[in-house]
Amino acid sequence: MLLCDFHIHTTYSDGSIELQKVVDIYGQAGFDVIAITDHVVNNDSSIGKLAHQFKYTVKEENFQEYMDAIEFESTRAWEKYGMLVISGIEISKNYINPDLSAHLLLLDLKRFISASWDYERIFREAREQDALIVACHPQPLSDMSKDTFHLWNNREKYAKYIDAWEIANRDDVFNVVSLKKYPYIANSDFHKARHLYSWKTLLNCSKEVGAIKQCIRHNKGVAITLFRN
Amino acid sequence: MEPLFLIFASLCLFGLFAYALQIWSVRSCRTIPTPSCSGEPIAAAAFFPPISILKPLKGLDDNLFDNLESFCHQDYPEYEVIFSLQNENDPACKVARMIKYKYPERDITVHIERCSAGLNPKVNNLIPAYRIAKYPYILISDSNVMARKNYLADIISDMRDPGVGLVSNLIRGMGGESVGAVLENLHLNSFVMGSVSFLDRVLKMPCVVGKSMLMRKSDLEAIGGFAGVKDVLAEDYLIGKRMHESGRRVVLSRHMIDNINEYWGIRKFLNRHTRWGKLRWQIGGIKYISELISNPVFMSFLALAFLGPSLRTVALSAGVSFCKSAGDFFIGRKIGTNMTISSYILGPLKDVLIGFIWFVPLLSNTVVWRGNRYIIGKDSMLSPCPETGLLSFRYRVVDTIKARFA
Repeated sequence: MLLCDFHIHTTYSDGSIELQKVVDIYGQAGFDVIAITDHVVNNDSSIGKLAHQFKYTVKEENFQEYMDAIEFESTRAWEKYGMLVISGIEISKNYINPDLSAHLLLLDLKRFISASWDYERIFREAREQDALIVACHPQPLSDMSKDTFHLWNNREKYAKYIDAWEIANRDDVFNVVSLKKYPYIANSDFHKARHLYSWKTLLNCSKEVGAIKQCIRHNKGVAITLFRN
Repeated sequence: MEPLFLIFASLCLFGLFAYALQIWSVRSCRTIPTPSCSGEPIAAAAFFPPISILKPLKGLDDNLFDNLESFCHQDYPEYEVIFSLQNENDPACKVARMIKYKYPERDITVHIERCSAGLNPKVNNLIPAYRIAKYPYILISDSNVMARKNYLADIISDMRDPGVGLVSNLIRGMGGESVGAVLENLHLNSFVMGSVSFLDRVLKMPCVVGKSMLMRKSDLEAIGGFAGVKDVLAEDYLIGKRMHESGRRVVLSRHMIDNINEYWGIRKFLNRHTRWGKLRWQIGGIKYISELISNPVFMSFLALAFLGPSLRTVALSAGVSFCKSAGDFFIGRKIGTNMTISSYILGPLKDVLIGFIWFVPLLSNTVVWRGNRYIIGKDSMLSPCPETGLLSFRYRVVDTIKARFA
């Protein structure tokens, strides 16, 4: 089984550790697959504008630099640890009202997607790029300030676009019964070193991007584990 | 001048003098032109007997992959590495297997065997590894040790002298991305480095650091083997002591090993040094008081606390903190650690914390190590905590309070 974490932040957004060190933390701990998913925040709300002000977001201007840095680290991680590093972003539509807020992981993305676009356009563009679409923390978190309910509240409308839902995020496990009809994965939402010890995904597939995406989409051979020291 | 101020000021001066001696000892260990810190000059003929490296693994340390990998890059003709684990689900198991997979040309064994011979979990981990070790020389090396290429070649050179029974090493703290890790590295590079060098160079006392111990199998068996230390916390101290009593010399190699600490929390730092303090209290007895009076920063802090802030108490604290930090910085430069200059600002805070920790062993004789709780007795002898009765109730209360704070 591949030990995976598909939700990781670095100093490119609001993570506290630089990309290279984040890759080393996971490599040193024996992970097989990780995805770097820094925030791309909307610019059409007061909270979103704050994120732009404090540079807690990847922007279109530095997107290519971000992707190049991940590509470089991906090569290094593969050679040194045999660990696969997938590039991605976390589309973060942040509003004061959690019912309007939504976070989406787009994995194996090639071109920039703005969080200010409407949902249909984001999903359509992500599909065109064959990116894996994961709905993040769809249910209440222990840290209520990060709650994002829009996707879950509108699941009948959006579920067809979403490849997987986060059934666990860091220390929180969401309502398993209500999520059981959807494909699922578990992630750390890594921002600090101690977040390494949290919920993770185990995949029974080969260590290739295509196989991993297929495994998650079909949701066969997927398990979750609480990674502890 | 108040007598109390004079007492504190004298203790501060004593502490600084003791630290100056430790700095001299570290410098001396680093500069003498012999392969070992306390050894005789040796002949230059090649001496490279095959070595079995025993690596007891439990959980993830910072930098674990690199630590284990560094033992695959040794510039040494023949050696085997045995990664020993108690449990296949241990996260370190995956890392050990990755290393074995990456270096198929190396003689690496990942050995998983549950052993409950004694109460010391590290010794329990070592017993199965020792049983399958092929070579007459064994090196016990902790999982948080990172070695340079010439490590084995350097430390084995001391063994050429048949009178030497055990070779140990000084530890250098490296890295430090979090406050806890910086505190740990500061302590390793000042107190631990200074004390071990001082014991070896000045007091000529055998001092063994368990992170790296090279021995002959025959010598270890002659002093009772691992079975003789299975129920003690300080197995390294006892092995060194018995080796010394058996007439074999215990030497401190000039070769310094690295301990990379990157992302420690403050709690981990406090827990480790509380445990080590309890251990030294049980081993050293009344000598343990020397650690308190040779902590000049804490003494100056006590003067400030007892006499209140005034020009002289503040000046004493500031002056002592500056001198001690300068000493820490000097040692850091001398041993070539990669700590930043700004890290040394935390030195006085670390000394004050260590000063408070010093009192804990006087109040508690239990340790929690690798998930198990023990009562620690004389010479660090372990006994299990009672599961019933009044004492067990006390531990449950403590655990509940800790869980609440966590």
